[in-house]
Amino acid sequence: MSAATTATTATTATTTAPRRTNAIRAIAMKDFTAVRRSKGVMLPMLIVPFLLLVALPLGVGLAARNAHPPDVSSMLRALPGGLAKPILNLPPRERLVVLVDGYLLAPLFLIVPLMLAAVLAADAFAGEKERKTLESLLHQPVPDRDLFFAKLIGAFVPAVAISWIGFVCFSVVVDVTAWPVAHRLIVPSTLWAVVIFWVAPAVAALGLGVMVRVSARATSTQEANQLGGAVILPLIFLAVGQSTGLLLVTLPVAIGIGAGVWVIALILVTRGAQRFTRDRMARTI
Amino acid sequence: MAPAVRTDDLTVSFGTEKALDGLSFEVDAGEVVALLGPNGAGKTTTVRLLNGILTPDAGSSRVLGLDPATDGDAVRARTGVMTEQSGLDDRLTALENVVFVARMRGMSSTAATNQAQELLERFGIADRANNRVQGFSTGQRKRVALARALLHQPDILFLDEPTAGLDPEATRDVLDLLATLAADQGRTVLLCTHFLGEAGRLCQRMAVLHRGRLRAFGRPDDLAARIWRGVPVELDLGAPADERTLGALRNGRGVLTAQPTPTGARVDIEERAALPALVATLVQMEVPVFGAVPRPPTVEEIYFAIQEGAE
Repeated sequence: MSAATTATTATTATTTAPRRTNAIRAIAMKDFTAVRRSKGVMLPMLIVPFLLLVALPLGVGLAARNAHPPDVSSMLRALPGGLAKPILNLPPRERLVVLVDGYLLAPLFLIVPLMLAAVLAADAFAGEKERKTLESLLHQPVPDRDLFFAKLIGAFVPAVAISWIGFVCFSVVVDVTAWPVAHRLIVPSTLWAVVIFWVAPAVAALGLGVMVRVSARATSTQEANQLGGAVILPLIFLAVGQSTGLLLVTLPVAIGIGAGVWVIALILVTRGAQRFTRDRMARTI
Repeated sequence: MAPAVRTDDLTVSFGTEKALDGLSFEVDAGEVVALLGPNGAGKTTTVRLLNGILTPDAGSSRVLGLDPATDGDAVRARTGVMTEQSGLDDRLTALENVVFVARMRGMSSTAATNQAQELLERFGIADRANNRVQGFSTGQRKRVALARALLHQPDILFLDEPTAGLDPEATRDVLDLLATLAADQGRTVLLCTHFLGEAGRLCQRMAVLHRGRLRAFGRPDDLAARIWRGVPVELDLGAPADERTLGALRNGRGVLTAQPTPTGARVDIEERAALPALVATLVQMEVPVFGAVPRPPTVEEIYFAIQEGAE
């Protein structure tokens, strides 16, 4: 085939949907492979979820099996509006493990995907600039919008996947360690599942919506993390403050809160996509 | 035939600084053209504009008949770019780096792998195809980057400082490779460089940029003719020419200037045909003539003369 024919074929192919899907998949897979091989990115992504989702519930579970577990009844009665009533109705021995594993560790379900999304998104654009690989990426025949979504997917899918794997580990640790005390499965519950499968991905998307925009402007991963931290940290505090309550609200309210987070995340992502152009990126190289 | 590249008054600014100011030139299909200039002259900016990754503030360009500002993806599908930094991901292997680009360009997984292996073989890096790029030398990176730029058989190849950071041996290897590409395959090549020797070796025409402005564009001989009158000739007389010899040279027919050199004299003559009579005059004067060689100015001399004029 002559060079001209090949080129014409390639030009025509730029408009085809399968080719665009392939390009998006190639970029997302490349990012995933590269991150998987990067110790600097992988270690915090694995160590933090391990500590929060495995080590911490393991310690609580073992403490709850103690012959004299701490009495949390007075603390629970101090909560307003009878929020702690479901826990107070439990036998005293179960209260600590259910309170901590079922409610107080709930922020982790939101912090972990938020943190993972932030780390991966910082690597997505600022990391490309830092490694001097962005320009060659911009020289490929991939539309701006596809490039943006490929980067987004490359961060979102691993962040949610690792979070879910972490939650499965969390459930196993909690149920195994709490079994001698509770003689039943503490997690998963319906509300818990809503938080994990509906709210947690929404929070990851929210973190991405913020971080991808920050990352696109920053010139290094460190700068992206610093700039992004200023936005992500308040979100983390908000998550910590609200997530325990989230498990005490009714199912429709939890779904509604998740939907609200999704809407904000999608607005941020859409606005990010609209503002994302090669020209903008190339001017920051 | 329409030019492969054409720019009209192309202008772009970064903040208040003009990175490119009214650039206009044409490159014919199959031609090798050098973009020359110091750092900050606008060479890389030109490549980015011609590939549609930067949008001009004013002016326009056509690449293969397409406007990069509006048909960027179509242009990029037909061009190959080797950036100055090579642009390889250190965490991937050489093969993965090439396959990644092939997949983005729409090749199937099998075709991408086969094509990548073939190119890495051709560029002498096949033995390290499955090694991570992290440990590669600059020369090895350039080879992988070149394979990546060529895998879709682009109509136009943009090479941004292809020999920057290479040792002399690797420079020679890469230049040999580029000379083969240009000569054997008739590919249009735009070479950005501040190494003048490689421009002189590879390019038919050269564009000299200075602070974003095009100072000169054309064949080296034509540019030299615009700067200097006549043909320079080195006369080897075994010793610096004395006053008597210099006087005879200056009075010779068609001689414009005559200056002594450590081994004889350098004269500028109106045309090459004046040289035999000049040599005959010296022989009649019993001045020993060991050599008389017309020496057109080098690309370096032309470049520096243009840059000095631009300052």
